[in-house]
This record gives sequence, C-alpha cells and structure tokens, in this order.
Amino acid sequence: MSIFSKNSNSKENDEPVAHEPEEMEAQATPVEGEFAPAVTAPVEQTMRTEFANRPNVLNTKPSIISEGFTFEGTITSDGVLNVSGTVRGKITAKSVLIDTSGKVDGELNSEQLVIKGQLHGDVSCEDLNVGPMAHVDGNINYKYIHIQRGGKVSGKFIKN
Amino acid sequence: MAEVNQQGCLFVGEGVVLKGNFDVPDIASISGTVEGELTAKQVLIEATGIVRGKLTGESIDIRGEVNEYISSTRSLIIRSTGKVTGSINYSEIEIEKGGHLHGDLHNLNPHS
Repeated sequence: MSIFSKNSNSKENDEPVAHEPEEMEAQATPVEGEFAPAVTAPVEQTMRTEFANRPNVLNTKPSIISEGFTFEGTITSDGVLNVSGTVRGKITAKSVLIDTSGKVDGELNSEQLVIKGQLHGDVSCEDLNVGPMAHVDGNINYKYIHIQRGGKVSGKFIKN
Repeated sequence: MAEVNQQGCLFVGEGVVLKGNFDVPDIASISGTVEGELTAKQVLIEATGIVRGKLTGESIDIRGEVNEYISSTRSLIIRSTGKVTGSINYSEIEIEKGGHLHGDLHNLNPHS
C-alpha cells in the first residue's frame, strides 16, 4: 500500500493498518522510500538501486535518480527510469521520465519519453511527451510527439 | 466569430489555389491552397488547407499542412491532423498528439 493512502482514509480503524507497510518500506529503503510508493506495485516491498542488469519486464520498479543526485556516465536499462536529479551522459532505457526537477545533459534513447524538466542533447525516441514546464534543446528524432502548451522546445525535429 | 464581421479577413475555400503575397489585418482561414507569403493576425489552416511558403502571424492554428516557414509571435498550435515542415519560430507552442513536425524549432523568447 502506498503512503498516499494515509491521506485518503478518514476512518480511525484503518489508520494502524495503513501505517504498518509504510514503516516496513522505510526500513527496507531508507534513501528512496520517499519516492517508491508513488510508482510501485503494492506487492513488493523492497527497492533495488542498481541501474543496470534489470529484468526484461516493463512492469518492474523504476530506477530512480532522486532530486539532488547527480549522475555522470552511461545508464542502460530495459525498464523504466525516473530522473528527478541530474544526469550527464548517455541514457538508454525503455521508458524515461524526466521529472520537473530533473535535468539531463547528453544523449538519450528510449521508446517512451516524458519530459517535465530540462533536457539538452540528442534524443531518439518513439513516443515523446513534453510537459508545460519543460525545456528541451537538441536534435529530436521521434515517431509520435505531443507538446503541451508552455513547453519550450528548440532544435531540429525529425519525424521517423 | 469571423462569419459575423468579415472585415479584414481572408477566406480561402476548399479547392481554391491562391498564389502571391497576402497581408491580412485580421483572420485568414485557409481551406484551400496558398502558395507564397501569408501574413495575418490570426491564421487558421483547416484540415484541407495547405500553405507552401512563408506563414507569419500572432496566433496560428494548423489542422492542415504548412511547408517552409512559420513565425508566430503569440501562440502556435499544431493539431493532430496538422503537418508542419521547415523552419518554425514561436513564442508559445502546443502540439497535439499525432501532429507532424519536421524541421528546426526556435523559441522567440527563450528567457525563463
């Protein structure tokens, strides 16, 4: 159960039940427990922090670059990558989300790409979604594009 | 809205081909084909509309096709049926899913 549920239950009886898994999760992942509940399935309780060697299933937990965290180098993943921090280098993943606080500087290859933060570099993706607060700059190769009003984009756009 | 007061407006019906340079003080609604330069305060390119050449305006709404050049000083919307190729200058942009964009994109006021 996600910690968001504690906001929704107003019944007194539910409270201790909702808190129990939250504490368990916090113990298992002291660093990333804050982010895990928003994106994870309720069944699994532990969080893996490796960025490579992920299973070939999209339904697994996302790899997360947390806010305030800077990564330099190459990230390769068959699954989902959420960037709330900063990445300088190359990213290859099936699905990438650059959150509002996220910054990516470098090459990015993915099937699904959602940009809410900032991105500078060359992008190759199938499905591109640019949020209203996003800044995107670079050469973009895409198949399907959606830019929400307010998103700042510049560079060369090439539809495949 | 344009049907009520058509002063300063240009309507190009489906099947009509216009060639030349056009300066429209108000709304230009294009369902046909325009070849050349088109400048208007507000531009609507309907699904059947095609512009080959330069297109400039404050607000531009594209459901059809525009080639070569677009400059929009206020808002540029490319609808899902829209197809845009060439150089694009905008201050605010929105592209609906399915919209086609091929070319160079420049933000006119990149600050903030």
